[in-house]
Amino acid sequence: MRIFSTDHKVVGLQYGVTSLLFLAAGFSLILLVRWHHAWPTTPVPLVGGLLGDANASGGILLPEFYNQLGGMHGTIMVFLAVVPLAAGAFGNYLIPLMIGAPDMAFPRLNALSYWLYLLAGLVMLTGFVLPGGAASTGWTSYPPLAVIATAGQTAWLLGLFVLILSSMVGAINTIVTILQLRAPGLTMMRLPFFVWTQLVTAFLLLLAFPPLQAAAVLQLMDRLGGTSFFLPSGLVVSGRALDVAGGGSPILWQHLFWFLAHPEVYVLILPALGIVAEVIANATRKPLWGYRAMVGATLFMGFMSFLVWAHHMFLTGMGPTMSAFFQVTTMIISIPSVVILSSLLLSLWGGSIRFTVPAMFALAFLPMFGIGGLTGLPLGLAASDIPLHDTNYVVGHFHYVVAPGTLFALFAGIYYWFPKVTGRRLHDGLGRVHFWLSLVGMNGIFLPMLIQGLAGVNRRLYDAGRTYAAFQGLEGTFVLQAWAAGLLAVAQLVFVANFLWSLRRGARVSDNPWEATTLEWQTTSPPPAENFVTLPVVRRGPYDYSPPGGPADFQPQGQP
Amino acid sequence: MIPYTVERRADTGVTNVTLGIWLFLASEVMLFGALFSAYALLRTAAPAWPSGRDVLDLRFALANTVVLLALGWFVWRARTAAPPAGTRRRLWPAAALGLAFLVVKSLEYRGEITAGLVPATSTFLATYFVLTGLHALHVAAGIVANLWVVAGAGRVPPAMTLGRTAALSLYWMFVDVVWIVMLVLLYLS
Repeated sequence: MRIFSTDHKVVGLQYGVTSLLFLAAGFSLILLVRWHHAWPTTPVPLVGGLLGDANASGGILLPEFYNQLGGMHGTIMVFLAVVPLAAGAFGNYLIPLMIGAPDMAFPRLNALSYWLYLLAGLVMLTGFVLPGGAASTGWTSYPPLAVIATAGQTAWLLGLFVLILSSMVGAINTIVTILQLRAPGLTMMRLPFFVWTQLVTAFLLLLAFPPLQAAAVLQLMDRLGGTSFFLPSGLVVSGRALDVAGGGSPILWQHLFWFLAHPEVYVLILPALGIVAEVIANATRKPLWGYRAMVGATLFMGFMSFLVWAHHMFLTGMGPTMSAFFQVTTMIISIPSVVILSSLLLSLWGGSIRFTVPAMFALAFLPMFGIGGLTGLPLGLAASDIPLHDTNYVVGHFHYVVAPGTLFALFAGIYYWFPKVTGRRLHDGLGRVHFWLSLVGMNGIFLPMLIQGLAGVNRRLYDAGRTYAAFQGLEGTFVLQAWAAGLLAVAQLVFVANFLWSLRRGARVSDNPWEATTLEWQTTSPPPAENFVTLPVVRRGPYDYSPPGGPADFQPQGQP
Repeated sequence: MIPYTVERRADTGVTNVTLGIWLFLASEVMLFGALFSAYALLRTAAPAWPSGRDVLDLRFALANTVVLLALGWFVWRARTAAPPAGTRRRLWPAAALGLAFLVVKSLEYRGEITAGLVPATSTFLATYFVLTGLHALHVAAGIVANLWVVAGAGRVPPAMTLGRTAALSLYWMFVDVVWIVMLVLLYLS
């Protein structure tokens, strides 16, 4: 396998391995925080001494380093781990296989998008060795704080700029591939739901990211060129008036940032919904319930996601007219999510479900994403958002969406398509251990966050808010979270061991071990160069499971 | 081989390159749209905003407008020219005009900087430098793209060169339109 390959399968795997490593890195950073919040005066075990006295004095995290951990955890998880894994890895590897194409439409641009992504990630990480450390103003990088922060923020902005180039190239490639390279007979309404979610995701990446790129350029100018795009007049830092022209607007950054970052939420969740739909259709041996409604809901969700961004900004004093508009759009956008989730739930009805490991992750996704979505409703209404804003409740809410939500779906995908990539199956027993420990660990971390936030504990505080009245009586919940985080880490070690062992020793399987209908299973495992020996011709919809009177309980899309 | 690189797909009616360039331009619209929105927000919030005519030298901008429109005309003509010779005859002058634009722009920047008009001076100048700077980067990228199509014209099938030229001409049209908008917003208003 060549490193500088343009084969979509190689590029997809490169995305996959890189983003999984970033996932581990992002998780490691926050493990330190979980320890620190539970036992702030006890040195971090094992690694505490390795962090250096400038970061952790005697193994206890210093406030400056704590801020870097939180900021880089969010940055790595959103920009470098989950989105590249969901769109870059799964999208690149599976889309051409699922639509019967030999490769992506622009193979060289595809490879370019991976190498730009890797470069962007490395540039962001260089912050850790710069004076003052990595970016420490959170993944949202609000000015004025971000403008006066140390050099790590410059690395963050440069990395983000390159990352957006990468994602633009990748998004164009995905859209052109899906619209142009479908096999004969594969009409749009015969596309697997996963491909639809990737299509809408690519449009969101294409159109929502450029405003953040513009914002990153403006913030870079503020930091390096002495401009004041985001700096108001009369700003005082450490008791001294800042020597800038002033006249800028910190709120402008928030608008540009959330104009990206709300569609980004759907970038995080849509591919996950796609994976879950594929796995559930396969495990229930039934056609998806409401396929057309799900497709419509996906398109509507993608469109609406551009009209809700200011619900992150109710506290900026936007006035009742604006906030009324954004509250209404926010309530409206919950409808397509409910349509998709309900369709997936109804798909289970009357099925004889095969409780495979991917199916268990996919089934657990449904209630976890449900909790994540429902806990978001009070945040979409200004009256209840104002007390909840910036508390741990918000952190718990979006982690339920992304961690036991999206990540569980991505794990389902890894277990489901691992046999296609390697010709071997991941070990079943270890997979079940991984699943149950992860489920307990995830809920042990994020359920307490909701409780802490409702009690009024603010997020991002170095001492977890110990000096405030709201914290009193909640110390035990932070200890519980630390234990749960440890359990989650153990579960991931099980997964890593399983992954490495199964690459060499996993049970060999046939080309279509799950007896699935979609096109990627109608070629060898792993697929040959150019994917299909003979060009597939599609004759039916994607989920022809249990056709009445058929010889088997599934009929592949390409079967005459 | 990847299908529909040269020939059109029947149900979508386009080639991969045509669809790709339109998607790219959509993303570019969002990039400059965000910057123009930022411009509008900062300008409406500012207590005072200078008129571009008082601060900037309109002569440079008008010269560059002529250069860019001429460039656009050459690239547009290249769409229907027979590759490789016809393509080369039109894209070389276009690349040279792009270079001329950058030279004029650099002279303009130099005059402004020596006069003490730098991005840090005021929000107006900050906006001016970021917008025109990003636009100049697009011109530079366009020159590279021109040279790439010219270099490939002798090697790839004529139909592929025509596809690339068509995409290139759309890109330059976009660069021209952005310039006209900036001319109005920065120099004339």
